[in-house]
Amino acid sequence: MRVNVGNTTIRIERRSTLRWWQSAVASVLAVVVSLVLVGFAFLHVGASPVAVYREIIQYAFLSQYGLPQTINRAVFILLCAYAFIVPIRAGLWNIGMPGQVYAGMLAAFSVAYAFGAKTSVNAPIPGVIVIPLMVLGAMAGGALYGAIPGLLRGKLQVNEIVTTMMLNSVMLWLVAHMIREGGPFMGRTAEGEGFSLPLAARMPQLWNLPLTVYATLVLAVFLSIVLAKTTIGYQIRAFGASPAAARYAGIREGFLCTFVFLLGGLFAGFAGYHYFAAVPGVYKIPKSYNDFGDFSFYGLITGLIAQNNPIAAIPVALLFGGVASGARFMQGKLRLAFGIDYALLGVLMLVIVAFQALAHYRLALEHRVPAAVPQREIGESRVESPHH
Amino acid sequence: MSNLLTISLAAAAVFAIAALGELLEQRAGILNVGLEGVMLLSGTFGFIVAKTTGHYLWGFLVALAIGALVGLIHGFFSITLGSNQVVNGMAIWIFGFGLTTYVGYPYTGPLGLKQFPNLLGLPPFFILALVLAGAIWFLLYRTHIGLQLRSVGENPAVAESSGIAVIRLRYLAAVLAGALVGLAGGVYSLIYNPVWSYNYLQGWGFIALALVFFSLWNPLLVLLGAVLFGVLWQLSLYPELLFPNFFSRYLWRAVPFLITVVVFVVMSTRWFSLRWGAAKPHALGLPYQRES
Repeated sequence: MRVNVGNTTIRIERRSTLRWWQSAVASVLAVVVSLVLVGFAFLHVGASPVAVYREIIQYAFLSQYGLPQTINRAVFILLCAYAFIVPIRAGLWNIGMPGQVYAGMLAAFSVAYAFGAKTSVNAPIPGVIVIPLMVLGAMAGGALYGAIPGLLRGKLQVNEIVTTMMLNSVMLWLVAHMIREGGPFMGRTAEGEGFSLPLAARMPQLWNLPLTVYATLVLAVFLSIVLAKTTIGYQIRAFGASPAAARYAGIREGFLCTFVFLLGGLFAGFAGYHYFAAVPGVYKIPKSYNDFGDFSFYGLITGLIAQNNPIAAIPVALLFGGVASGARFMQGKLRLAFGIDYALLGVLMLVIVAFQALAHYRLALEHRVPAAVPQREIGESRVESPHH
Repeated sequence: MSNLLTISLAAAAVFAIAALGELLEQRAGILNVGLEGVMLLSGTFGFIVAKTTGHYLWGFLVALAIGALVGLIHGFFSITLGSNQVVNGMAIWIFGFGLTTYVGYPYTGPLGLKQFPNLLGLPPFFILALVLAGAIWFLLYRTHIGLQLRSVGENPAVAESSGIAVIRLRYLAAVLAGALVGLAGGVYSLIYNPVWSYNYLQGWGFIALALVFFSLWNPLLVLLGAVLFGVLWQLSLYPELLFPNFFSRYLWRAVPFLITVVVFVVMSTRWFSLRWGAAKPHALGLPYQRES
């Protein structure tokens, strides 16, 4: 495509490759532009976007109540981002984070239930045994649920997007069954939510934060090493770059697809444990558990913005954790409509895609020499015409 | 029982119209996995307009227009910018989910218009779905432009060299498909379940997407699959009609989704693809860059 302005031609060229800093700039710009666009929604309800964002930052990152909430949400998002990143490195789409989160949550509560946790908040439960078992159960539950679409994809080429989405809905109704109308996990008093975990089965805290937060940082390092330094990490990347070449090189497709979804599901399952069994003030399956399924899609956005890099995902998750907890706070304070955080989610996704696509194009300016040469040729031919 | 059939066909109409739109687009080689998002956007805006104006007509027109617009946007990303179609579709889906959650929230609740009339005892949009399925079948297999559309989905480079305007046809398919999917979103939010709530669609768009694969890209089989899923969906809502006091009603709700997975698995087996395969458009999901 080319446009002529005076003596200059502006041409749009497609780059074949993108350097890391170019895509990083595209990601950062996408976040900034999205925040500005969503800012217009605040104007729409008569609030100054600058003041609103200042309040959100103050609540989310600088206040005594907001900061732990931000970190807890960020950890949930980060784990969901890992659930997305591991398969996408192999070129596979995991949008089954909600299902895997719920699977991990149900597994963790099953462990507690088996130890008699439903009887009372003061139930005498051996926490030293139950808490680790709940964590392992959650990871296993998420991993196994995640492995299903991976196995189907690896063995039968079943489209993983459709299966993960369907399995999300299946698990959603399973949770509903467990906590409603006399379901096994229903709370002792409240209809439609789970029983409260006994004090003895709650995750201990360190500096006001549950230990799952610190465990997540360890997992982040573990994941980076697996992806960057191990044979399986190399195989994942090779398969993502070219499945055909990877198959030719002897990588077992069935195993690899199952493995990436298993590992992804493990992180999502742990996210389920973290938010429902370790965050102060929750410690149960709340009525609004459904929101957390949708909230897990921030993991997908985080993965895309971080360009599938587990370490780069940490600050991105913190930003979204802050925006989400701050937005909920602002919603109450300014009486904003529900869902401003989800609106950001949507705008972000579209803007990221646009920016990453546009980053592949560049404008080339070209100064044209005035088109005199052909004219002279015509003139010369006129001069020479007497020969004919 | 006849009531069950009527409401099943009303559900089938939503599945069928959305899946027919997607089928048209996929036949031209474009994969839009964001059906759910398109339906959320068109359904929500159609609902808001119908509720504020008090007329179905305005609601449907807006649903159609929003669908076409989103189809155009998905087309621009996929066709002109040539970026990954799965990523674009995901973007459309999450955009639809996020934006409608915020925009629709103040309109939470019933639509409050008088009930849409039935035609000959059948849901009117099911009749439309029948007509559309026939029309799209005719378009694809009996007209010149249908042949061109299919060849664009099979091999755009060859189509281009035989004088077919690939880009233009793909845009046409994307916008038409968007309009149909948008209409399906409107039918859901205005007729089938005229009560807006957050994330009200609950995966119907993804079921419609799966239907296109089930149908082996045949519009008549889309219709059949939609009817099956309509019945299945209603049975999952009222399991006591067939199996009284068996399982909790929540577990039955999961059944249509589980069956979708099972059908999908069967469709993907070697046995099935050897017998029935090769219907998938070859260039599906691949960006096409014209040689310049």
